[in-house]
Amino acid sequence: MASTLPAAPLNGIRVIEMGQLIAIPWAMKMLADMGAQVIRLESCGRTDYRNDSLYQNDISGEFWNRGANFYEHNRNKLGITLDLTKPQGLAIFRDLISVSDIFVENFTPRAVKNFGLEYEGLRALKPDLIMVSSTGYGYTGPWANFGATGPATEGASGLAYMTGYTDGEPMLSEIPYIDYTAGEQTVFAVMAALMHRLRTGRGQFIDISQAQAASATVPEALLDWSVNARVQPRMGNQDPAMAPHGCYPCLGDDRWIVIAVSGDAEWQSLCRVLGQGEWSQDARFMDGLSRWHHRNELDGLVGSVTPEWDAHRLMSALQDAGVAAGAVLDSKDLLFDPHLLDRRFYEVVTHHPSTGMPPLPYASRPWKLSETPGVSPRPAPNLGEHNRILICELLGLSQEDFAGLEDDGIIGSVPTDPRPTQRPPLEVQVRQGRMQRFETDFGEQIVKFYPDADHG
Amino acid sequence: MPPGALEGVKVLDLSHHIAGPWCTKLLADYGAEVIKVERPEGDPARRMPPFFHDQTGPENSLLFLYLNTSKQGVTLNLKTQQGKQMLRDLAREADLLVENFSPRVLPSLGLDYESIHEVNPALVMVSISNFGQTGPYRDYKATEIVEYALGGLMYIFGAYDREPLKHALNQAQFKAGTDAASAALIALYHQRLSGQGQHIDVSIQECIASTLRDVVNNYTYTGAVRRRQPNHSGDLTRLRAAADGFILPNPGIGARMNWDGVADFLDAPELKDDKFNNASARLANAEELGEVLDRVFLTKKKFDVFYAAHQQRYIYGVVQSPEEVLANDQYREREYWVDLEHSTMGKIKFPGAPFLMSGSPWQVQHPAPTLGQHNRELFGRRLGCSDSDLAGLRAMGVI
Repeated sequence: MASTLPAAPLNGIRVIEMGQLIAIPWAMKMLADMGAQVIRLESCGRTDYRNDSLYQNDISGEFWNRGANFYEHNRNKLGITLDLTKPQGLAIFRDLISVSDIFVENFTPRAVKNFGLEYEGLRALKPDLIMVSSTGYGYTGPWANFGATGPATEGASGLAYMTGYTDGEPMLSEIPYIDYTAGEQTVFAVMAALMHRLRTGRGQFIDISQAQAASATVPEALLDWSVNARVQPRMGNQDPAMAPHGCYPCLGDDRWIVIAVSGDAEWQSLCRVLGQGEWSQDARFMDGLSRWHHRNELDGLVGSVTPEWDAHRLMSALQDAGVAAGAVLDSKDLLFDPHLLDRRFYEVVTHHPSTGMPPLPYASRPWKLSETPGVSPRPAPNLGEHNRILICELLGLSQEDFAGLEDDGIIGSVPTDPRPTQRPPLEVQVRQGRMQRFETDFGEQIVKFYPDADHG
Repeated sequence: MPPGALEGVKVLDLSHHIAGPWCTKLLADYGAEVIKVERPEGDPARRMPPFFHDQTGPENSLLFLYLNTSKQGVTLNLKTQQGKQMLRDLAREADLLVENFSPRVLPSLGLDYESIHEVNPALVMVSISNFGQTGPYRDYKATEIVEYALGGLMYIFGAYDREPLKHALNQAQFKAGTDAASAALIALYHQRLSGQGQHIDVSIQECIASTLRDVVNNYTYTGAVRRRQPNHSGDLTRLRAAADGFILPNPGIGARMNWDGVADFLDAPELKDDKFNNASARLANAEELGEVLDRVFLTKKKFDVFYAAHQQRYIYGVVQSPEEVLANDQYREREYWVDLEHSTMGKIKFPGAPFLMSGSPWQVQHPAPTLGQHNRELFGRRLGCSDSDLAGLRAMGVI
């Protein structure tokens, strides 16, 4: 029986995505991986997001089809371009909505209203439509039309305020972190609405405030204020209960390990592995509470001996002794990490031949479903790649109509105002401190661990 | 109020600490029926701060109270034969079973997926663990900081010339809980159509590693390894100190920025200099630019700049303290906070719905259960235990 079941649990669900950057695109990539047909709507007049982090920093030719961050967030989707400022473009959009299950977008409410894409109007086209609006601060309220980025919502949520080195300033995480927090909750929201539709036959409107989604994940701080009128000081890598608990230097340039000691047995094991019998006898470190009170001295002591160790070797030695520890993995370590390789976490995606890019590994999903693992990966669409198949085959317009739409500039496959973003040469990025280092033989190294990434 | 989106979904919740309970809280507040099964001494989260008025005690952890709203609670000792049997009986009626033990625990108790699948083939079992159910790190120990290190977020996080940093609090656990809830519903959707159950393996390490924009792909696309960024990197969108806090400037996305307009907005004519007035010049003079911007923002109040910027549609951000989040107009107008009436503590203000559903609202059904609160009701109703049965179970340490 198992062999006749679909491997992709969301087969048959069609999504129209008008997403920008990450919050919505990441979430819809997850649904696409699980079998939903996600149709990504783009405009040839607004394609800068496609130009970010170009393959080999090469701005020649169709550079807009070679951006890493676009590929990273749009796997397994179909792509259509439409000029929604023209009535013909809007008419096709409405036709697409009428044959879809879900419409998702992350523009401001102002843009949604300007284009006439509000839920009430769209529901007239598809009565059980589910719509998701994901905004920085929410679809309603005085901040509704304030644009936002992941770092902005990290600041608004309360998370950035709590984060930072001991006695230091607030810190942000260097990725658009809350885009992902909101994206994760968007996957859940869409699935909850699909479960509801399965039971009742009804669609609905989902209003996601990215800042509020994030605040729901910092209850420790918000409740401490609302109930106890207290704000805990920033703790860096230290912990309210454990010590030593921190990040310590290891052998090599910018190599580190984290260690978290939760009890007396772990403490004794740490002393043994590090060869520090004296520490284990020291009265200042006899029990959890005294270690915690002397956590700054402990951090200094631990950090004074870890530089003799390779981070991975020390991690293995400590874990074998039952101590929680982890090498601080850089991007190359992650890609070649034996555990993630064993779990096939990175999946090789073959790109469209027109890009000239070799197949490359990409992060997959944070879950594995035993019976319905999902679809085999296809790359993100080239700009306008599926215009014809969607307009002629799905919506049934004629080839003549299609040609007319192209002539009128309603659809297209080339940006109207292409502006590549070229990053400085890698030597310069290393000198500026943006990159730690670079390797020129990375292609061969990738193929060694991911044989499917061979250009052939 | 109409029922929640997940009405009719039955969840057996064996989870503890944060990741699993956050997963089942999402399910419960959106309408699922969740039975939380605790060991007789209780979920360790009952001993986690912050506490109500700093009074420690198993019913006073605010974190526990937050993470377990809308659930019913029973206690069960899974090391006893009778406890295992009662669990299997409860699993017979469940759609979902959620657990976040380390991967060796349930198999060692004879409660692995295969044995539960035999009892209920349509059941979806969700296992959340530090590194997943397979692979060489499977049995490694981890806390938040270890997940940040091995998930790849830590290396790029923090000050250029200092050790890598993690977020405050328990972000990795929350990420994993949300991902687990999503995966659970994907599998449950499939189950409703096909009748087929399955086992879901959620790795907290992979929850982090699947959300790293422009990190691993710097290497696969160019061979470069990204690191923690220098403060004056030419990046205009870094956090800056204002007179009364911190502001996140963002003068405009990409290359379409009107730089003179930015200089006027900041009352900083020195920014119109040739050293700064185009993107390459700004990169070439990044340090000097950073110093000018630092000086400019120090004279301004953070909310003044924030609101003025949004008038111009510059998408500035602002760093809010917990106090400011609680007082924020936007949150208040959207009725984000809920006042939960608790039997001994009175009204407590909690963060509310993560997102709003127009047709099937988020709702706290009732406060978190006290330890064993629903033993009598649930074991009686579901398993037909009489009061004397329950007394016997209690005496034997099963509940």
